[in-house]
Amino acid sequence: MTGRAFRIAGGGHIDRSRTVRFRFDGKEHSGHPGDTLASALLAAGVRLVGRSFKYHRPRGIYSAGPEEPNALVEIGTGARRTPNTRMTTAEIHDGLVAESQNRWPSLRFDAMAATSVAARLLPAGFYYKTFMWPASFWEKVYEPMIRRAAGLGRAATEPDPDHYEAAHAHCDVLVVGAGAAGLAAARAAGEAGARVLLAEQDFLLGGGLLLEPAHEAWRGETLAAIIALPNVTVMPRTTVFGYYDHNMLGALERVTDHLATAPDHVPRQRSWTIRAREVVLATGADERLVAFPDNDRPGVMLAGAARAYVARFGVVPGRRVVLFTNNDAAYATADTLLAAGADSATIVDFRPFGTAAAAARARGIEVLPGSEVIGVDGGTSLYAVQVRRRGTWGSTQVPADLLCVSGGYSPAVHLASQARTPLAWDARIAAFVPGEAARQRSAGGARGVFGIGAAAHDGAAAGRAAAIATGCRVGSEFVLPGRNGDADPTVMPCWEIAAPGKAFVDLQNDVTAADIRLARQEGYEHIEHAKRYTTHTMATDQGKIGGLVGAAVLAEARGLPVEQVGIPTYRPYVTPVTWGAVAAHHVGKAFAPIRRTMLHDWHVRNGADFMEAGLWLRPGFYPQKGESPWDSVLREARAVRRAVGICDVSTLGKIDVQGKDAGVFLDRLYMNTFSTLAIGKARYGIMLREDGMVFDDGTTTRLAEDHFFVTTTTANAARVMEHMDLYAQTVWPDLDVQYCSVTDQWASMSIAGPKARSTVARAVAGLDLSNEGLPFMGVADATVAGCPVRVFRISFSGELAYEIATPAGYALAVWEAVLAAGRADGIVPYGVEALGLLRIEKGHVAGSELNGHTTARDLGLDRMAKKRGDFVGRVLAERPGLVDPGRPTFVGIRSVDPKRQVRQGAHLVEPGSFKSLGWVSSVTRSVELGDAWIGLALLTDGKARIGSRLVAAFPLKDEAVEVEIVSPHFIDPENARVRA
Amino acid sequence: MSAPEPAVPAPRSPLAGVATTGRYGAAGGTPLAIAEIPAAIVQLAARRGRAGDLARAVSGAFGLDLPPPGRAASARGIDAIWIQPDAWLLLAPRGAEGALAAEVKRAAGDAGSVVDQSHGKTLMSLAGAAARRVMAKGCRLDLDAPAFGPGRAAVTQIAQIGCVVHQRDAIPTYGLVVPSSLAIPFFEWLTSSAAEFGYEVG
Repeated sequence: MTGRAFRIAGGGHIDRSRTVRFRFDGKEHSGHPGDTLASALLAAGVRLVGRSFKYHRPRGIYSAGPEEPNALVEIGTGARRTPNTRMTTAEIHDGLVAESQNRWPSLRFDAMAATSVAARLLPAGFYYKTFMWPASFWEKVYEPMIRRAAGLGRAATEPDPDHYEAAHAHCDVLVVGAGAAGLAAARAAGEAGARVLLAEQDFLLGGGLLLEPAHEAWRGETLAAIIALPNVTVMPRTTVFGYYDHNMLGALERVTDHLATAPDHVPRQRSWTIRAREVVLATGADERLVAFPDNDRPGVMLAGAARAYVARFGVVPGRRVVLFTNNDAAYATADTLLAAGADSATIVDFRPFGTAAAAARARGIEVLPGSEVIGVDGGTSLYAVQVRRRGTWGSTQVPADLLCVSGGYSPAVHLASQARTPLAWDARIAAFVPGEAARQRSAGGARGVFGIGAAAHDGAAAGRAAAIATGCRVGSEFVLPGRNGDADPTVMPCWEIAAPGKAFVDLQNDVTAADIRLARQEGYEHIEHAKRYTTHTMATDQGKIGGLVGAAVLAEARGLPVEQVGIPTYRPYVTPVTWGAVAAHHVGKAFAPIRRTMLHDWHVRNGADFMEAGLWLRPGFYPQKGESPWDSVLREARAVRRAVGICDVSTLGKIDVQGKDAGVFLDRLYMNTFSTLAIGKARYGIMLREDGMVFDDGTTTRLAEDHFFVTTTTANAARVMEHMDLYAQTVWPDLDVQYCSVTDQWASMSIAGPKARSTVARAVAGLDLSNEGLPFMGVADATVAGCPVRVFRISFSGELAYEIATPAGYALAVWEAVLAAGRADGIVPYGVEALGLLRIEKGHVAGSELNGHTTARDLGLDRMAKKRGDFVGRVLAERPGLVDPGRPTFVGIRSVDPKRQVRQGAHLVEPGSFKSLGWVSSVTRSVELGDAWIGLALLTDGKARIGSRLVAAFPLKDEAVEVEIVSPHFIDPENARVRA
Repeated sequence: MSAPEPAVPAPRSPLAGVATTGRYGAAGGTPLAIAEIPAAIVQLAARRGRAGDLARAVSGAFGLDLPPPGRAASARGIDAIWIQPDAWLLLAPRGAEGALAAEVKRAAGDAGSVVDQSHGKTLMSLAGAAARRVMAKGCRLDLDAPAFGPGRAAVTQIAQIGCVVHQRDAIPTYGLVVPSSLAIPFFEWLTSSAAEFGYEVG
């Protein structure tokens, strides 16, 4: 486009003294600070900005705000490429790069636009009907094809290089939206003394005030007054996107998107969680489209948007203007455009001739009353509009390069609707308005109170009422704009113009009025069903400008009033939110906090291969040069069986239990008895769930008459604490018992192997390690390298073993002292994998067996149950199903061919049978049995089958391995080694 | 058996090698101060029905009034923070190993259960004009007056980590107590949240 500039010389909220350069589809353009990408491109004469989702129809800029359905672009390049960004809210900055979407090879010549020709073959629900057969085609043919054809922008494939933050805010009064109503509300609440948050999605505060030079002084004064209040926080570029329970709202603050270069250490965006005592929704209203044929062509624009481009951005979006309206308010657009230098304006008024039409004619504007637009002429730009007198046939062509449309305004009730505020029909404006809700009020356009003066008064009242509700004194009086200039907001409903052609109700998802009727015809006549069948309002704009129009088309087809059909429920997010902002700090390594033992750095320095255990990182094994993982695991386990090994077991849960009734408390929680345990002794214990299943196991030590030290498995540490809380607080509140986690207070290490005594003896001072001095299950205090330690003679591996616990800050000193002391014995650090191997050989149960489906009897642990006295789980463990002798019981298995791997999870079956007799819970290669594959299993009639052979079947890998059923105790069934 | 006891070495910090002194983040202006504070930390819980006796015992021995829910109290270099019904954390500058726990145990007698948490918990402090804004990036609680202020304390979650928050003064300075095994991820959250304002690790 050449010739006269579209930018006018003065007015608006742009800084003409500065120029900003950016690129769109490879071409350089310029604009001014204060421009959006949309306003700058309109000023540059660009009218075609994208292709539609389904039919690849050419599309232009339709709105001037976040309701935009058409003008979606990719902004940024490489890892920062952000698809589906609204041009109408994106601020330009030097170096900004934007690309149009959904077109190939170029925006002007889009190959996929051919789908428009075949549009008759692509009705609503077409995917469901067409791509059904054959089923096998779905994944390989249909889905990739559909995905290629649709989808709009391309997401970046590289990791997001930006960082994001989450933050929390609290306030007495949250005001959403800083138009006339929001500013007045914030000032009223703020001056009354309330702690106020004012959130505005735009980068300028003012909303509709930005289009009103006459009210600019009031906007300035009010803003200055608000900013001067220390109890009011103003948050521009902040979209409140979700309204959740208990007045908790979510908001997205775009911190640096508008900057050419973001300062260091500042997040790109921040997601806010706002907890407000009172909420004032001053979100304004969205202008509605009218469904007439080709209402999506570039050059068709909402009337209010056209006015905004002139009044706020100083851009004339067209020179020969047709305005199609069903209300008085839109008339101002014609005046604004003419005043800005448009050549002509013709008003097509859906209503009969009235006072507004008469006044416009008196101003010299051509008005066609009782008329309607039945189509437009143009492809990638507009050259004429087809106008018809209502109730007649035939039409006249009015030359135009801009068609402004106003179907009236719908209050932006998205947030109120999310909060389940009932919506009521307001016939005067033909729209839903929010009703009463606790701790929440809508004000101004958001509840159908239109016009600057009326909205400001309504906002001030709402702000004052909200402040009073939080207990504030009322002390604020300030000047508000008069209501005289407000236009009459009454509309004559105008939803669809019956004429041949595609009349869109949802521009972003390419849904037409005909699609809505088809949905109804096929039985999807509830608005929520029609929505899903047609995808009407399911795009990211959630049907802000056409949602109600589609509902009205459905209502007409059903012969009901639109208020009875209703609108689909709005859901978060009001506008799309960057996923990175939701994740905030918690990405990559910070996804979940990593728990480290105090020996972590040593493990890292010594080449440990880590594995996750809950939030913990534990050394799995310590591979040496050239070793495979199994080489390391077998070497480490062999060292424990033949000499001595040391393992970091700090991650085991540890709970300090004290109180007069501590023993009784533990007696009731565990199957075993602890109240009889001698001071200085440890005992292995089993804890059941209330339902009788095994919950957890571990050793408990008595440190004093009223003081126990409980250990749990790593995985169940937190759950055991919760279990204790439940019983201590709700079931036995009479017991005198206090407990707390000391998992992090104590580091612990297991020193195991036939030479463990020799190593520990060299390391420990002040302790007699003989069987008399420290017998199996004995506990004593000592020191290692001057550090206080507690030595437990307990074993998980089946070898002679000591567990040394020390206050965690001494862990490294103690660990290194023990390593030094064990050098002569050939001490080797071993990881969780070797630990698992050793306990399987010993036949100790662990997480794989304590899986919530096994009873103590299943595991052969039922003899540990106390004879007398109740404990949690005792009663329900005796249910018939749990004492059924046919239940699988605990056995060992060994591969008949020692080299053949058995898999965890394999089913045990008779050869040739498909009937599962049990399953394999744990497997390993065994150092004791010459590297052979062994395992633990739960098997029906397990004891009786010892000595027989079965097949371990693993159908997922098509494997069947012959195994011998054996005792689960592969080594030392007499327990001689641990007592050596 | 009776070999001479070598001196107890200094305990290693869970933040060793991570919390390195220096100035980080945005330059200019007064930086926030972030530090790990070596502390003796003791968890004290009243025996059933003995809260009154315990309060008298602690008051007598340390001049410290055990605070009510949501509050902290300080006397003679010891801070007491309410953490759950009838239970408190006592914090003091780190002294000899186990000394504070032993002292408190002696004072509490059979009215309280005492657990040494000096190694299990790590105390950090965050101070500076922007400290509240840093806290807002992870702490869900309302830390503004009148909801919070000097002498107020809370048990909460920050960055998925259980945390005791204690506002010590009006600067504001926050004392932050976290499980030692999670001290590193907590410190990483704290410093990444403070970077915008600039901070100094002391």
